[in-house]
Amino acid sequence: MIKKGRLASVLTLVALFLAGTAFAQTDPGVQGGNRGTGVALSSVLRDDNPGILAFFNDGLSRFQEVESVSGGANNGLGPRFNSNSCSSCHAQPAVGGTGAAVNPQFAFAGSSVAPKDATPFFITANGPTREARFPFFFNSNGSANTNAPNGGVEDVFTVSGRSDAGVCSLPQPSFNAARSANNIIFRIPTPVFGAGLIENLDDSTLLNNQAKNFNNNLGISGTFNRNGNDGTISRFGWKAQNKSLHIFSGEAYNVEMGISNLLFTQDRPLPGEDQMQRGFPVNCLNLSGGGYPEDANNPGSQGAAVLDDVSAFANFMRTIAPAPTGPVVLNGNTVSATSISNGSALFSSIGCATCHNPTPGSTQKSNITGSLSNAPVNAFSDIEVHHMGAGLADNVSQGGAGSDQFRTAPLWGLGQRIFLLHDGRTTDLLSAIQSHESNGSEANTVEQNFDNLNSSQQQDLLNFLRSL
Amino acid sequence: MPVGFSPLAGVLALSMPLLAWGQNARPPQNPENGGDFSSNVQPLTKVPEGVILVKGAWSSASDSVTPMPEGGRVTNNVFSDPYFGISYAPPSGWTQKFEGPPPSDSGRYVLAQIRPADGYTGATRGSILITAHDMFFTPLPASNALQLATYMTKNLSADYKLEEPLTPTKIAGRPFTFYAYWSPVAQLHWYVATTQIRCHAVEFVASSRDTKLIESLLLGMDKMTLPAEAGPSAGLGGGAAPVCIKDYASDKNMTTRVEPIFTDHKFNAVPVRIIIDKKGKVKHTHFLSAFPDQAKAITDALTQWRFKPYIRDGQPVEVETGIMFGRAPRPRAPAANAATE
Repeated sequence: MIKKGRLASVLTLVALFLAGTAFAQTDPGVQGGNRGTGVALSSVLRDDNPGILAFFNDGLSRFQEVESVSGGANNGLGPRFNSNSCSSCHAQPAVGGTGAAVNPQFAFAGSSVAPKDATPFFITANGPTREARFPFFFNSNGSANTNAPNGGVEDVFTVSGRSDAGVCSLPQPSFNAARSANNIIFRIPTPVFGAGLIENLDDSTLLNNQAKNFNNNLGISGTFNRNGNDGTISRFGWKAQNKSLHIFSGEAYNVEMGISNLLFTQDRPLPGEDQMQRGFPVNCLNLSGGGYPEDANNPGSQGAAVLDDVSAFANFMRTIAPAPTGPVVLNGNTVSATSISNGSALFSSIGCATCHNPTPGSTQKSNITGSLSNAPVNAFSDIEVHHMGAGLADNVSQGGAGSDQFRTAPLWGLGQRIFLLHDGRTTDLLSAIQSHESNGSEANTVEQNFDNLNSSQQQDLLNFLRSL
Repeated sequence: MPVGFSPLAGVLALSMPLLAWGQNARPPQNPENGGDFSSNVQPLTKVPEGVILVKGAWSSASDSVTPMPEGGRVTNNVFSDPYFGISYAPPSGWTQKFEGPPPSDSGRYVLAQIRPADGYTGATRGSILITAHDMFFTPLPASNALQLATYMTKNLSADYKLEEPLTPTKIAGRPFTFYAYWSPVAQLHWYVATTQIRCHAVEFVASSRDTKLIESLLLGMDKMTLPAEAGPSAGLGGGAAPVCIKDYASDKNMTTRVEPIFTDHKFNAVPVRIIIDKKGKVKHTHFLSAFPDQAKAITDALTQWRFKPYIRDGQPVEVETGIMFGRAPRPRAPAANAATE
């Protein structure tokens, strides 16, 4: 029998433990329900520029088309690809988003999509939808050559064995050897909600925002990735390597799906196939039979249908609305507005907002649609690239961004994202925050500030982030 | 035989796929090693974990002997930075867990980030950030540490409230300017002590929820070593260090100047500090942020630069100055007497 005194102390310990549990900070996780994500900008819905709604709907439709190699309604896929439809990767929580809970890539190998291929180790049924890159080329003895940077996308799948691909047969890149040599990194899709607003921020707005944020005592000082042609600020992709949504679309169509287009006019071999002057074998070229580029304008059509796919995709991304904010449910209970408001204030106070700027500025006047004109861009990003340290560095350089420099990921829509960070390495917000600190990171001091908050404050901050 | 079938045509048809692969000159499923392919799943070496091998614009220097601002290290629980002449021992049990980022293209340094070590058992936590702003390149409208601290206090974010206005003080016997602010929401306090050394505003930022802890941290700084030149509106080099002069690389001080030609990277800001020897030649070059091709082009140009010897008290002395190459789109700090001659 436990004596009274001892019972009291045991109960006290239990109570303390439970209190500790209650205040242990927890990522509320991916928020369910429909927040209204995935719709067009309000002015587009009003069709304020007659025909713009048709452009949006046409782009939305093409974004979901499944591409064939030849003989289908939409041809040009491959010879190498990561997926066969834009929306298969940009899916969560709506068309235009990021990777879904069920990875469609997992079903490709051995199916009619990629019958002769194997599923590589980094593609799992419920893991992140991914592309892979080898930071370095292999040398002739099969080891990674750290003096030969690669960094290009190593498409996961090939058209080998497909009934619509003739006799084209290609090997998949050496993913297992790359894993053995620690010579492989991953990227997940970036969501495109609100992308038209980011595109329409004038450079001067971003520069002014940068100048305003220099007066921090956090050791933060970012820079911009700049377009190599005209020197202006580029802004799309994990390293802000793409200048515009057209280029973003054109590159993705070419690199992720293997479809040549008006911006990227040839079929793209792997970086090493290009480097070693192998290219594709002739029986893997012009697989669609229609010549190059495989995606082009349609002069015989009317209305939006006259556009090439890349332009249609860009129109869709340009005119889709930002993901709305929403309520947060934690352990079955709706989080209070006070907690979210407090989390927002903490987010700013400890310095997160220095880079994840809630509103880096407003757009310039748009020639496309009213909602893109003079509109605040609540992206939670300064669009700068920052040194994120060795822990996140991927030894891939893109444009002016080195291997540890990443664009401040826009956080709008974060509440309904599943996989976090550039490679989808975690689904846990707390882990993602902690990954911001490592040798060489500009975020070390801010992460330290986060650690200096108490558990309740940290919980408020996590709740706030899942409200976005 | 079906009508119209030719044996030759049949042979040709069968051989077409082989011809196609012939141009590829390799079996498709067994590519030779190289490029994206490797048959070696047990390589002798691996790409090292946590090491940044592919760098963008980064800091570098013309030699590995001359100290640089970012060369500070925490070793044996002492932070020492030979460039600034600083030596500081954090409290027992505090250390640097992670190094800071490289210098920025706006002249910002993170010299050290000190925090309680793993296993720390103190009642409250905190952190010490030691940073520097290169006053030749800072985009903030300030030309010395005092002006910088003044600007910071007048432009605090709305998240913060000023606890202590700008106040002159002394740390380790050298003049500093001090201010403090706090976040009512986060209940975090920041105490900032700033001085200037070699035309850099050097800041010590102590932060915690516990003001007593911060006060003890600042008191502990009284034991650090600082150079004689340190002062919020002083710190212009001299003594063992070169004198530092803003915008010294101007026509009136030079006899020969050749501009570098950038061929690859052209659109980033490239801040460069140089030390000019007593005869007017560039003896040391420090690239705060430059791509390798830019560093080479600038080096090629600087070897041809010639300055008039700088005379102080009747003797030629070494001069340290800064030049911003490339594109510098940000507003530049106004020149002021404190850092120019």
